[in-house]
Amino acid sequence: MTKRIFKNTMLIVVLVVILCGVFILGVVYDYYNKELSEGMMSEAKYISKGVEAEGIDYLENLGKTDARVTWVDVDGTVLFDNQADITTMDNHKDREEIKEALTSSAGSSTRYSNTISAKTIYHAVRLSDGTVIRLAHIQASVLRIVLGVLHPMVVIIVFALVLSAFLTARLTRQIIEPLESIDLEHPEEAKVYDEMSPFIRKIIKQNEQIKEAMEEQKSQRKEFELITENMQEGFIVVDKEARILSYNSSVLKLFDMDMDVSGKNVLTLNRTEEFSQGIIDALKGSHNEQILQVGDRFYSIYINPVITEEKVAGAIIIVTDVTETEEREKLRREFTANVSHELKTPLTSISGTAEIIKNGIVATEDIPKFAGNIYSEAQRLVSLVEDIIKLSQLDEEKNIPSKEPVDLYHMSLEVAEQLRKVAVKKNVTIEVEGKSTVVDGVRPVITEMIYNLCDNAVKYNKETGSVIIKVGENQNGKIVSVKDNGIGIPKDQQDRIFERFYRVDKSHSKEIGGTGLGLSIVKHGAKLHNATIDMDSELGKGTQISVKFPC
Amino acid sequence: MKRGLIERLDALNVEIIKMGALCEKAIEGTTKALFDGDDTYIKRCRIMEEDIDKCEYDIESMCMSLILRHQPVASDLRIITSALKMISDMERIGDQCADISSMIRYTKEHDMRDYQHLETMSKAAIKMVNHAVESYVRKDMGLARSVVEMDDIVDRQFDEAKKNLINLIAREPDNGEFWIDVIMIAKYYERIADHAVNIAEWVQYSITGEHK
Repeated sequence: MTKRIFKNTMLIVVLVVILCGVFILGVVYDYYNKELSEGMMSEAKYISKGVEAEGIDYLENLGKTDARVTWVDVDGTVLFDNQADITTMDNHKDREEIKEALTSSAGSSTRYSNTISAKTIYHAVRLSDGTVIRLAHIQASVLRIVLGVLHPMVVIIVFALVLSAFLTARLTRQIIEPLESIDLEHPEEAKVYDEMSPFIRKIIKQNEQIKEAMEEQKSQRKEFELITENMQEGFIVVDKEARILSYNSSVLKLFDMDMDVSGKNVLTLNRTEEFSQGIIDALKGSHNEQILQVGDRFYSIYINPVITEEKVAGAIIIVTDVTETEEREKLRREFTANVSHELKTPLTSISGTAEIIKNGIVATEDIPKFAGNIYSEAQRLVSLVEDIIKLSQLDEEKNIPSKEPVDLYHMSLEVAEQLRKVAVKKNVTIEVEGKSTVVDGVRPVITEMIYNLCDNAVKYNKETGSVIIKVGENQNGKIVSVKDNGIGIPKDQQDRIFERFYRVDKSHSKEIGGTGLGLSIVKHGAKLHNATIDMDSELGKGTQISVKFPC
Repeated sequence: MKRGLIERLDALNVEIIKMGALCEKAIEGTTKALFDGDDTYIKRCRIMEEDIDKCEYDIESMCMSLILRHQPVASDLRIITSALKMISDMERIGDQCADISSMIRYTKEHDMRDYQHLETMSKAAIKMVNHAVESYVRKDMGLARSVVEMDDIVDRQFDEAKKNLINLIAREPDNGEFWIDVIMIAKYYERIADHAVNIAEWVQYSITGEHK
């Protein structure tokens, strides 16, 4: 801007000076011409008077004069010329000014004289004797005058330029400086001239509006961040190039990232084909959801396209950790499969036996044996269903009797007594050691737990084996442990035996009996009492399972 | 012009991630099929190998056009040159997975889980490919270095497997052909691990500008 102001001012100065010069020159030139011809006229008259009085002598003694004086006779012959040789001069009768003077006593003309090759002004006066005195004056041409004034004019122009440059510089500084001094953050502090105050006021007003809008944006953003940051679910917004625009910290946790991923492609988080296909689909405009396995965890992923003005502008991805749900679902599926299998086996046996009896194939004396078969299978079904009911009660923690003081030692003795008969049949001894130890617990549940542990210890024992129930307490809690020297449990299956229907040796399950739910009930019972279970088992040597109740 | 370059580099990055993911999928799938004795996988692995080859071709032409059109310098050029090197290693991983899968038809009669060394090697190789691709995705120097270190495990396992197989051949010479298949599979895994190391080294190069 400064440059433009400067350039324009300079241009104006030069133009003004030149225009002035031309105009003045015109005026001065006109005036000079007029003066010249008037002067010549009077000079001609003066000379004519002299010639009338003294004749040619006057002319010869005229002395020095600027003008060329010519005396022409009536017939046009040149009688005298003070600057040219009269013998070489031709007849002047045809000359305009002389013709004019001959007819009307005076005449004048301006022309280019061949003789002296310059523009000449002529003035002629007729004398009383009819001859003509002519004065010729070489007129200085405009160019000569211009050349004459050029020098002072250049000086003036230079002077004017320097002066205006100085003034312009000052002026522009005065205009620009206040503009530059405006701090857009604090326009009210700027010292400006009056013409600019409306502008400043506008800036101040707009600043306020911007500030308000920004505050609003900030608070909205903060709100949004608060919501997304406190979400357990991962939340990602991507643009239409699948670059991450925004995400919450849960995303980094879920995808195990420890760096800033904003601006990066969403494939940085997960690069499986399913996920990238999901993103591509969403960016084409279709909503989709999927279960994604990341390491050993399962994530449910919802990908929604963001549509503005009928165009996909990006996508929102929500990631939920569904590992537990997925695992529970898996357990439930397994349980259903197992329970139907366990229920079907005795039922098939019952219905088969009953069918044989119905068809009358069985001899009458054999019927009690078959009926006994049906009875024992039905008993198995009943105990299975009872176990399932117990387990589901423990699962739901409903319909459970209230807690009361239970003597573990006393209870162990009772259980040992109950199992004595089975144990003797298998030639296994049962011993109870320790002293009276009271815990606060649910009596039927604890009975069930100890019974199941001992039942297993007897069932999975060898001939002439032993079962020892130890009851005691230490500073950590009250312990019931059941130890046998039976077949033991393989190392790799030890953490699975508490699962429902899990059996180490699938082929012998029927021979040994049991529902496959015993240890599961122990596990849930322990959970109900906040008790912990420890297992120490070696294949072929025996097993010790202890339940520790907290103090 | 500059903006175009950045966008194209982003696109290149995405393509490399996709190709890396394909490699991971290939080696995981191949290993699973090998140990499950699933020979229907051979066909799927062939398709995957073709996909990987196509990826390599696409990325190569992307790199070429980037170099020609934008004359990249400094780190941009480093990203492109390391990409060119990485994809050839990835392509080799794809090939070797296909080679392993084509051997499943000879090995499916046997339970491959009996060969402890092979299982350890395959697990280590999968982990190395995972980490190499992951280190590229995250531009993580530490992860890239861990891949280089892991290579020792695979090399040691390969030596052990070799010794073990010599004994087995001596004991059961009738099964000779099968033992050779096993040692070849082991060698393939060892090669895959080497390629993973190469990828990790190129990742380091693209970050630091130094290549060992």
